[in-house]
Amino acid sequence: MKVVKIIALVLLVVFVGIQFVKTPRNQSDVVPKTDFMLVNDVPKAIGNKLQISCYDCHSNNTAYPWYNKVQPVAWFLENHIKKGKSELNFSEWSNYSDRRKKSKLKSIISQIEDNEMPLSSYTLIHRDAILSESEKELVIGFMKQIKDSLK
Amino acid sequence: MRKTKLSIGIFAIAFAALTVMSCKDNKKESVDSNGHHTEMGAKENHMGMNNESEEHHHEDGDEDHDHDKGATMKTRDIEASTQKNAATAPIIDAYLQIKNGLVADNKDNAAKGGTALLAAFSNFEMSQLNEEQHTAYMDIVEDAKEHAEHISESPLEHQREHFETLSTDISDLVTLLGTNKTLYLDYCPMKKTNWLSETKEIKNPFFGSKMITCGNVKKKIN
Repeated sequence: MKVVKIIALVLLVVFVGIQFVKTPRNQSDVVPKTDFMLVNDVPKAIGNKLQISCYDCHSNNTAYPWYNKVQPVAWFLENHIKKGKSELNFSEWSNYSDRRKKSKLKSIISQIEDNEMPLSSYTLIHRDAILSESEKELVIGFMKQIKDSLK
Repeated sequence: MRKTKLSIGIFAIAFAALTVMSCKDNKKESVDSNGHHTEMGAKENHMGMNNESEEHHHEDGDEDHDHDKGATMKTRDIEASTQKNAATAPIIDAYLQIKNGLVADNKDNAAKGGTALLAAFSNFEMSQLNEEQHTAYMDIVEDAKEHAEHISESPLEHQREHFETLSTDISDLVTLLGTNKTLYLDYCPMKKTNWLSETKEIKNPFFGSKMITCGNVKKKIN
């Protein structure tokens, strides 16, 4: 009994302690000139969908959920966003060389086609981020169009 | 048991309190995330060259040299691809290791090839390149490294996806810098893309045992 109590107490102290550790936040007020939306003149319907479904982890501006206010959730999300941005950052789009743009577009298309993206762990909470079949077609069609224009 | 319940209770209250508290001050710091990917800039000017070389691969055998730029680039490409260069051997060997892993449906061997390719890039002596080659090389390698990383840590089908673009990168690299090896540029009609092989016999890395003999040789290098 005593052991359980001690363990619970230690956990509590640790939990309280880590709340004071702040994680840097991936937020920015400006949309940079290099952003995918500005560079490619994205139609509004597609743009909105990308914003909701992709931009939280693949841009310099995340719309944080409420549970990001609690550690260790915030750490987990921050790592997640960091990884997402290193793979693909829509905010930095025009800084990519044409070779990399093509490469990224190919991955975007296949990830959406195979239902790998948006991640199921993400859409579990962000139900509005789910791409319907027709939305998938729309987004993929647009991405293919950009990819072909790069050749 | 009651004490445990009590502890859990305290835990829960603390959790709730802190959640509310931390709500207040979270809007303060916003981070400027520039600085990421800065190394990617300033490489656009050589894309023309690479596009041409890619075109060359896709339209091999096409004798139609109507636009001047294409014509000169093609001539240069042919010269470059027959250039004997032993320095690219470790890169090509690692690429072929990935290729042979995929041909054999062997994820682990392909992954090892991915790691070997990353090592080959970091050991590559860039000081031997002229400025133009250096810029073009960096552009290719930046992309190729990403594919190599994915190949080193992904399941087979995902490895194959990255291998498609990696093949374009490596064949552009061979065009740019040359090789001392005899290679075959093969074409996969299903994927509409090329790959490099050290054997004349077709062994398709995109489908492995499912369609092992699918494809045709487009060009012999050296």
